[in-house]
Amino acid sequence: MAIAKAERLMNLALCLLGTRRPLSKRELRDSIEAYVESFGPGRGVAGSDDSFNRMFERDKDDLRELGLVIETVESLDGEVGYLARRDSNRLPPITLDAEEAAALGLAAKVWQQARLAGAASGALQKLRAAGLPEDVDPYEPHSALEPRIPVHEAAFEPLMLACRDRRPVVFDYRKATAARPEPRHVEPWALECWRGHWYLAGWDRDRGAERVFRLSRITGKVRSRGTAFTAPVPDVVTVRETVASWAGENADRRALIRLRGGSGYPLRARATAVRELGDGWDELEIPYGHGLDAWLVEFGPDVVVLEPAELRADVVDRLRAVAKG
Amino acid sequence: MAGKPVRPANAIDQTRRMLSLVTYLRERPGARIEDVARAFGITEDELVSDLDVLPMCGTSFRGGDLLDIDTDGERIWWHNPAALGADAAEPLRLAADEATALLVAARAVATLPGLRESDRQALLRATAKVETAAGEAAGASSRLSVTFEAEGGVFADVDRAISERRRLWIRYYSPARDEVTEREIDPIRLVSVGHTYVEAWCRRSEARRTFRLDRVAEIRILDEPSAPPEVELRDLSEGLVQPAAEDPEVVVEVGPGGRWVAEYYPHDSADELPDGGLRITLRTPEPASLRRLALRLGRDGRIVSPQDLADSARRAAREALAAYDGVEAADVEGYGGTAGTAGGSTGPVRGRIDGREQQR
Repeated sequence: MAIAKAERLMNLALCLLGTRRPLSKRELRDSIEAYVESFGPGRGVAGSDDSFNRMFERDKDDLRELGLVIETVESLDGEVGYLARRDSNRLPPITLDAEEAAALGLAAKVWQQARLAGAASGALQKLRAAGLPEDVDPYEPHSALEPRIPVHEAAFEPLMLACRDRRPVVFDYRKATAARPEPRHVEPWALECWRGHWYLAGWDRDRGAERVFRLSRITGKVRSRGTAFTAPVPDVVTVRETVASWAGENADRRALIRLRGGSGYPLRARATAVRELGDGWDELEIPYGHGLDAWLVEFGPDVVVLEPAELRADVVDRLRAVAKG
Repeated sequence: MAGKPVRPANAIDQTRRMLSLVTYLRERPGARIEDVARAFGITEDELVSDLDVLPMCGTSFRGGDLLDIDTDGERIWWHNPAALGADAAEPLRLAADEATALLVAARAVATLPGLRESDRQALLRATAKVETAAGEAAGASSRLSVTFEAEGGVFADVDRAISERRRLWIRYYSPARDEVTEREIDPIRLVSVGHTYVEAWCRRSEARRTFRLDRVAEIRILDEPSAPPEVELRDLSEGLVQPAAEDPEVVVEVGPGGRWVAEYYPHDSADELPDGGLRITLRTPEPASLRRLALRLGRDGRIVSPQDLADSARRAAREALAAYDGVEAADVEGYGGTAGTAGGSTGPVRGRIDGREQQR
């Protein structure tokens, strides 16, 4: 039976961390049981060098993924050696008190995405090995709060890695009102979760402008483009402001409506002025931004728009469409 | 470990964990399995599987000692800690993904408006220390951010009621019926999934209910003790709304402009239509609550079934139109003329329709 990958990676990590001089690929291959078993003396079959090299490269990448800094050193006679120096791999001293430890314990639990959940636990485990206090059990809720960060979009992980590594991507994107998706070439800057949905901000190469994309509208695979960013990355990326303007949060005008008494609580909660009309109806002044027409129509016969005429027209138009069925 | 996502065994996660484990165990001879599993946030089975692998591992190339680690099922013994040189046992620096995962989560939790101030301060101190210790690895964490939404005052009251085990009185807005109702609830826990919710035992319906905090119009902590019956906590990772199989089915057809419905409503199926739209099948205990959706969709979609739901949306639209002007209603086929009941006398409205509407 092949030796488990975790055992192979662990031995490679310990060898590289334990050595004081660079170890050559041959030395590693001859001393780690998993490599010996698959590629050692007596098992030399044609092409086994290639497959060992591939496995060795993948293993090094995996160890780097979990934070190991592996140096490549060329000796005088031209042989390449590897080592993980303690200086570059040591966690700097960090002292956290019991309250701080409990707070981090709560934070480490919020990810529901496998890769980030694993990374957050890994971080906590490294801190634990460095002496993070255990007096307070971090896995029992400290406050009554159980925050969770939902990630349901398949595009999340590839985009997260692309943002991290600053790699341009291409994906098919269906705009909110478009029938068909179309390919978008994007230099991804940042991902932001707001109101439970994930958004990507980046440079849209085709449009030559900054754009915000909603991850749930990405269809199909996110593919990497092996080129570099062409546009400068801004210091501050404003995803929320853009999304808020889609949602009509930045309303700068006012509308006047009639609302049946007792109904439409959310409209009342937003009203800037309310006047009782005495006939079972109230008159409200409310902020008027993008999307208000669709929202008002939801209240059916309990809302009548008075002003402005443009909003009245939009609401009547929508009501007609429904009335015709 | 309730609520912890179950993930398949992953060699990278296990390696990462074992590297921390050797550092940790070296300092703690005879550590108890139970305690170590809890400190590492893993199950005892996961820990035991790590302990099976560690004796196959060693530090030096050729001829070095393997780690002689074993367990009697209760405690863990390491017979040759010298096999791992003192400096090979030092805690490892954080990887970029680890720093990102922990820092982004910590910053998000710190923004929760209702978090206890002492917890927030502790979290901010911890975040600053982790940023420093992570060094360069913390850089990429600015490329990911999360904002939770919660109503500060309501949150603080619910949080207090839970810790003091007291009943709450709330006025709560239900969008499905567009009404505000008063009820007493025994809070169980607060959950943040995009929006923040309180899961509670509702004394009015004598059932478990979930209330979104931004829909709480008013809240008071009562003197009576909270006494929710023992309920099994659900795993909410699949979403708060989990329709039951016996709930009635609703079919909605939307055009391209109504595709957002599939993003906002949990559904059984969403089939592509030739015009770029979708045919969406979903289940809800209360189909009438979807009248709002039908009205909002306008020309972007329609209810296919049940028929009464489609009819009720049409009736509501006609009734609403009647309040604007007879002109609008008149060209609606089959209009039944219930103008009198629509908005009562809507005096100021009549006759103020401009020409633009008529052309649409």
